[in-house]
Amino acid sequence: MAEGVFVVIPAYNESACIAQVAREVREAYPNVVVVDDGSSDNTAEAAKAGATYVLRHPINRGQGAALQTGITFALQRGASHVVTFDADGQHRVEDIAALLAPLRAGEAEIALGSRFLGDAVDMPAARRRVLKLAVLFTRVVNRVELTDAHNGLRAFTRRAAERIDITLDRMAHASELIDQVRRSGLAYTEIPVQIRYTEYSLAKGQTSRGAFRIVLHYILGRVFQ
Amino acid sequence: MSLNVFQIIALGVLLALFATTIFGAVRHWLGRGEAILASMVWIAGIVAVLWPEATTNLARAVGIRRGADLLLYCGSVVAMVGFLMTYIRLRRLRRDVTLLTRNMAIRDAHISEPTASGDVHTD
Repeated sequence: MAEGVFVVIPAYNESACIAQVAREVREAYPNVVVVDDGSSDNTAEAAKAGATYVLRHPINRGQGAALQTGITFALQRGASHVVTFDADGQHRVEDIAALLAPLRAGEAEIALGSRFLGDAVDMPAARRRVLKLAVLFTRVVNRVELTDAHNGLRAFTRRAAERIDITLDRMAHASELIDQVRRSGLAYTEIPVQIRYTEYSLAKGQTSRGAFRIVLHYILGRVFQ
Repeated sequence: MSLNVFQIIALGVLLALFATTIFGAVRHWLGRGEAILASMVWIAGIVAVLWPEATTNLARAVGIRRGADLLLYCGSVVAMVGFLMTYIRLRRLRRDVTLLTRNMAIRDAHISEPTASGDVHTD
């Protein structure tokens, strides 16, 4: 059952933990695709120790671009399901099975992880506020009722992945993706997942100023699409 | 018609820009729409430099008192349109760079998959 599942991990300057993250995922899912987004460290080399496939952007194009590269590659390799997974070790491998369950049961085509339905271990209050604002933004602008708008843990059936075309290269891709999910008309569901906040993942995460930039990029992207 | 130093310099610059635009259109560096728009701006500039009173007359005709104000307004609009067109072109360029980057990454993918014997094969 796990053979057709491709887990896509976009990574930028993650040499410290990418091998371990990829290895942990690969123990359960044999097709792990790490997309090194033009890192300045040796992320790609480190990833080879754990991932099945390592793709490298020659120059940095942003997380959205890296995700789409991984999704396109997974589809070309015949993926039946595509899962997106963060490189900083904040996701749990066991949550992937929970995301895939409704897809395999035919209840949905897209499963989105939600830390607010599940658990967010050691989440700082400021991060919670920013994420709640993102949820509000998603409800007002994207017109989609979600409890967690920017969770990197998601699963798609092949049919759904084929309809995804991320054009916003940087972090605004999460909102664009939700837009495309709504427009696709495919059934989606939210699944409780656990996010483990560590000093490392918090250092890599978004600041409030970053969140403002994401909103700006998203609006410009929609206007000039 | 006698020209002052400013008019001579401005005229020279505008004629050079106009010539460059025509050359760019002939060589297909510029699209037809861009070339027409740019040519109109340069011609308007040449007219304004050669016959300054023409801008004043035109300004009065559209309800603005001074020709200099009309030039300022028109210049602002042209600058904004130019900025917008440059931004749109930049976005397209970024998109092309991303697509190229993606194709290269997929083409050069490092593959390490277990074979039937359990060995790891690396491309």
